[in-house]
Amino acid sequence: MTQTLSTLGSDAPDASALSEAQLLDVYRTMRSIRAFEDRVHEEFATGDIPGFVHLYAGEEASATGVCAHLDQDRDTIASTHRGHGHCIAKGVDIKPMMAEILGKTTGSCHGKGGSMHIADLSKGMLGANGIVGGGPPLICGTALAAKIKGDGGVGVAFFGDGASNQGTTMEALNLASVWNLPAVFVAENNGYGEAAASTWSVSADNIADRAAGFGMPGVIVDGFDVFAVYEVAGEAIRRAREGGGPTLLEVKFTRYYGHFEGDQQTYRGKDEIQNAKENLDCLKRFRKRVADSGRLTDAQLDEVDAQVAQLIEEAVTEAKAAPVPGPEDLVTDVYVKY
Amino acid sequence: MSEMSSHWPDPFPVVEGSAIGIIPNPMSGRDIRRIISQASVFPNTEKASMVLRILRTVGTLGVERVLLSTDTFGIAAGVHREIKRMSGARSTAHVRWPKVEFLTLERPTGTATDTTAFAETMAGQCSAAVVLLGGDGTMRAAVPGLGDTPMLALSTGTNNAFPVMIEATVAGMALGMIATGLAPEPTAHAKLLHVEVTRANGGVQHEVALVDVCVNTLGEIGARALWKADSLRELYCTFAEPHSIGLASIAGRLRPTGRHEPRGVAVRLADPSVAAHTVLAPLAPGLLESVGVLGSTELQLNVPHPVELDRGTIALDGEREVEFGPDDAVTVTLAQDGPRVIDVPAVLAASAPAWPTTRVSP
Repeated sequence: MTQTLSTLGSDAPDASALSEAQLLDVYRTMRSIRAFEDRVHEEFATGDIPGFVHLYAGEEASATGVCAHLDQDRDTIASTHRGHGHCIAKGVDIKPMMAEILGKTTGSCHGKGGSMHIADLSKGMLGANGIVGGGPPLICGTALAAKIKGDGGVGVAFFGDGASNQGTTMEALNLASVWNLPAVFVAENNGYGEAAASTWSVSADNIADRAAGFGMPGVIVDGFDVFAVYEVAGEAIRRAREGGGPTLLEVKFTRYYGHFEGDQQTYRGKDEIQNAKENLDCLKRFRKRVADSGRLTDAQLDEVDAQVAQLIEEAVTEAKAAPVPGPEDLVTDVYVKY
Repeated sequence: MSEMSSHWPDPFPVVEGSAIGIIPNPMSGRDIRRIISQASVFPNTEKASMVLRILRTVGTLGVERVLLSTDTFGIAAGVHREIKRMSGARSTAHVRWPKVEFLTLERPTGTATDTTAFAETMAGQCSAAVVLLGGDGTMRAAVPGLGDTPMLALSTGTNNAFPVMIEATVAGMALGMIATGLAPEPTAHAKLLHVEVTRANGGVQHEVALVDVCVNTLGEIGARALWKADSLRELYCTFAEPHSIGLASIAGRLRPTGRHEPRGVAVRLADPSVAAHTVLAPLAPGLLESVGVLGSTELQLNVPHPVELDRGTIALDGEREVEFGPDDAVTVTLAQDGPRVIDVPAVLAASAPAWPTTRVSP
């Protein structure tokens, strides 16, 4: 099915259509991601967390604004090594996530995956992914399945500016366009692939510009503004659901922490992070906007903050008390029966 | 210098102190309209080529100095690289480039305020004119910085009613003639819409628009672009040409009004399902929509119009920029205090007698 001009833009989801409950949900998701990442940052410094962690703080508006349009049962997402935010936004429970990162049996993957492999297929979360550019081809698979089943499902691949240069990503963009798949590709450009500036490593002016070469629309959106992400993602997802084909979104923002925990970040400007935190922060901007327009009160938002803080505290306490996998768990969860 | 110049006098000697500014906006033309319609994508490599064509043209015409804004998207870098390459190649070594000064900002923001800051710097450094490459939003951002310095608005954006599509070489010819004193600067000021939002706490927010101000029911700035016909309520235009694209096209269909007429247009709009009649207008490239119309009227200069809608957003030149609620008072006023705008065909027509011709044989 192709879209006609008369059907485009007529009843598009705009950010003003968010109800009070939806606004609170959006805020809760962003606050949960921020509080989760800030806590993992602290816990990692104590040495309790095995393996590497890559934190999503600063980027919350992207996962939240996109996933707010997705259903748990028919829509899927593929994530990256920086996947905690995507997991939370797609509805993966926070307590098993924290347990997974701490390597405990109560974790999402029974403590055997860790930060870079958190997955919950029951929530349509295909998994964080240690392979840079590993997610987009997976989404071609789920989007093809949705197209064949005809259930209106959409697949969303989150990937970074580094992954935008990978062959797997290019192949996925091409295949999605050739097969007219219900897929959305979200390039999260936080300015750096590890320590390489995307202004140097990405040959195009913008990642979104590459869309033209694959025969799909490419759009740039302010990644610090959840309302902007919500509206743009809503159009792209609706387009995919209705048979209009794939879209490439480029979300521009910066990360508040290093590439991984322990990264000295000598490659970043002196005031870069401080400036983003003070002037661009997605949570601060959300609070100001909804308070100025009188849609939510500070008291309502503070209450969410308190509830989230308590949940994170419980998640850490319970995860620390849980057991680690034993030798008997070594050969379980290895194969899947279809 | 060309080989010819060793035999014939240079028709355009370099004029000491002559200068122009160039601001190519690296961010124009990547918004949500790529999804909702078939809006164009204007690559930055083409913007770099346009800058080079302007530089080469004004250099040939004797402009001494050009101030160029810098960016992290490769436009200024591409210009720098190409000038170096051409200067080093035998076939193009004769091209007379102006002295190009690459301007940097102490604290670039990556937002429209960078355009304002560059415009201000260029205006302060005696540029005879500043040429902007971008869309309506780029032009609007430049206005507060330009002061009385004339602007030339070249279109590279999505939804442009204000800047014109004209070959950069020809635009460069007009710029060169003005900068070297062979053509007069424009004297007339463009019309400008002033939006004043008085907040409940007494604070006043002032915004301007070069083409149109549209009051709409959408509660959020969101993705900024405005294309949903059923959300539109009040439209104010500085001018409305029958061939324009975007919101001003609504007025352009109903009550065409020229750029230089001492009046604007106001249109009251409604949801097309309840309006008395509708008009089909190109709200975005490729997107002809039925817009509900209650009535249209001439917009007089210097008369404030209070906005009637009690909650929504205000789009300036097609982009939602201001949110307002029932406690805020909003007025829209048309004034003749916009920038001085260079009309390329008019400049070239007027300066034709000054365009030197040389004899082919001695």
